Formats: sequence, C-alpha cells, structure tokens
Amino acid sequence: MTPVELSLLVFVVGCAVAAAALRDVLGSIIAFGAFSLGVAVIWVFLRAPDVGLTEAAVGAGVMTVLFLLTIAKTVRPTDDALFESVDPYALATAVALVAVLATTTGALPPVGAADQPVTGGEVTTYYLDNAYEDTEVKNAVTAVLAAYRGFDTMGEAVVVYAAGVGLLTVFGREVFG
Amino acid sequence: MSDQDADAEVDVGADAETGDATGGIQFGPGQDDTGDTGPDLEAADADGRPGPTDAPGGRAPYVESPIIMTTVRVVVPFVFTFGLFVMFHGANSPGGGFQGGVIVGTVVLLLGVAFGIATTRDWIGPRIPVAVVGLGVLTFVGIGAGSVLLGGGFLEYAVYGVKDATKYGIELVELAIGAVVAGVVTGLFFAVSAGGRPGGEPE
Repeated sequence: MTPVELSLLVFVVGCAVAAAALRDVLGSIIAFGAFSLGVAVIWVFLRAPDVGLTEAAVGAGVMTVLFLLTIAKTVRPTDDALFESVDPYALATAVALVAVLATTTGALPPVGAADQPVTGGEVTTYYLDNAYEDTEVKNAVTAVLAAYRGFDTMGEAVVVYAAGVGLLTVFGREVFG
Repeated sequence: MSDQDADAEVDVGADAETGDATGGIQFGPGQDDTGDTGPDLEAADADGRPGPTDAPGGRAPYVESPIIMTTVRVVVPFVFTFGLFVMFHGANSPGGGFQGGVIVGTVVLLLGVAFGIATTRDWIGPRIPVAVVGLGVLTFVGIGAGSVLLGGGFLEYAVYGVKDATKYGIELVELAIGAVVAGVVTGLFFAVSAGGRPGGEPE
C-alpha cells in the first residue's frame, strides 16, 4: 500500500468517526461530505472512475446540501457538548455487526489480484471480448449497463422514479416544491 | 451562530415558531411563498414542526452574497455542460446517465444556494421536474418495450433498423436515465426545502 493510499484511508476513517461522534450537526455534515470525497478518490484508486464520479456528485455534493437543508429546518441541541454521547449497547451492536461482516473479508481475493473470478471469469471475458462489436460503445461499463443488463438498469431507473413518487406521496403533493 | 443560541434557548420553550431561527446555516430554510404565512404558522404549531423562516428578530434565511452569486453565475454553465458531457460521453468514457443526471441536478442546487431556493423554484416551476422524471422513465421503458414489440429482445436496439442503432439507442437510454435522476435530485431539493405542508395550505 502506497503512502498516498494509506493517508487516504486514515483520512476517510477519521472523517467517518468525526461524522458519527461530533455533537454539532453542521460539523458532522461537513465531516460526512469530506468522507464522501475521500471515498470517491479511493474509488478512482481502485480503477472504478464511474463509481467515483457518482460518489463525488451524490455523496459529497447533493447529500451535503440536502442535509444542510434538513438541519436548517430543525432545531439545534441546547447543550454545548463537543461530542455526541455514545450509547454502549448501540455501539456494541454496531461493532458486532461489523465483526460478523468482517469475517467474510478473508474469503475475498486481494484487491487487484490477477486471478480473481471477476477479472478472468467467463462472463467478464465475454463482455470484454464482444462489447465493442455488439454495442459499438467503448466503455464496457456502459455496454453492460445499457445493453447486456439493460433490464436491470431499467429497474434502477424505476427505483429512482419510485423514490421521487414516494417523496411526493409522503409530502402529500402532486408537484415538487 | 452563538448569539442565536442564546435566543433559541429562550424561544424554543416559549414559542415554537421561532425555534428554527437557529438552524445553523443561512440559506432558504422552508422559504415558502409569501402569501401563506398566516396559515403556515398555525399548521407548523399543530404539527409540532418548526414554523416558517422569518422568526421575529431572527436573521433572514437567505443571505444575498455577491461572492457566491458571482461564482455560481460563472461556474454554472460549465457544470451544466460537464453534466451533459458526462451523460453523452458515458458510452466512451467514465460516466453515464446516473452520474451526468446528478451533475445536471447539482446546477439547480447551486442556483438555489446562490439566489434563494424559493426564487429558483419559482423560476423553474414545480411541474417541470415531475414532467422530466416521467418523460425519462417513459423514454427508457418505451425503447425497451418497443424492441420487444418489433420482435426482438428487451433493449435489442438492432431491431429498430436504424444505422448504428445500438450506439444511438444506448445514448438515448443514458439521456433518459439522466433526465430521471436530474429531475428527482431537483425535486428532492425543492420538496425538502418547501417542507411537508401540501401546497402551502393548512390541513
């Protein structure tokens, strides 16, 4: 692991802890935005620029503004404590959940390993070999997204649509705003 | 923020309407149309929610900053163009409809932060995002179902018989996705800023 990656990971974990622990909600939101930006850079390091672009735009950009709007419509906690008080049971539950999930990480191939199934598998090979002739687009991610797996993507688009409709239903409106 | 806190501790107990003066940020919290402040105050009290923005003695919810306005004025055309680029060019480089749609939606957020959310919402109109979202979904479903009707598989672009049908079909689908995402991001922004009171009328 290079020093850049290491410092990035430290930065992201630090931001995550700050976002969880800070008492001041505004500070917590800023920390969350910084966390998202750090994760976006990590995605780029992991050769996933598509995901990084999404993370930067949604996590660091849109979510921050929506959170700021939300705290503008709610009241500040009255006391001046710097950090949130920690509920030991909730913390223990969260740590236990992470521990259980972490047991699966041993089964994952190392990041960037050449022999992992996703790089050499039959489906991947087929997509990489045939994507350009089949779909005439150079970005294999787009080829999978909009051609090979287009039905899944329609589901995703409809999920976004359903989220908008759900929001309108909750707010009891027919138009946004 | 500090002098506001002192006010809040008094006001929250005494009068729920003024509690939100201490939201902590300065732009457009719940900036409703001006005509309906009276009903809104009552509605807010009934719901136990913080009322509309302009608390007596509180600061204005939206601060007109020439720095932010000028910056946004300069940056917005480029952000918008970049969003469209990401959408159109997603076929050949990282990006696509989801990412480009969010970036285009961000343009509206920038305008809202700089010029006031209510102003931006009035300028765009509340119906446009809904129409854009619906149009996007219909386009995607239409392209997919159309190829089935023509005897192919779902999204089998080649059956449309146009030259480079797959290429342009994928671009169109990306644009449709972008429209859905941009519309929902914009709508989320407007809806959250307007709050939950339907159309500003008390229930």
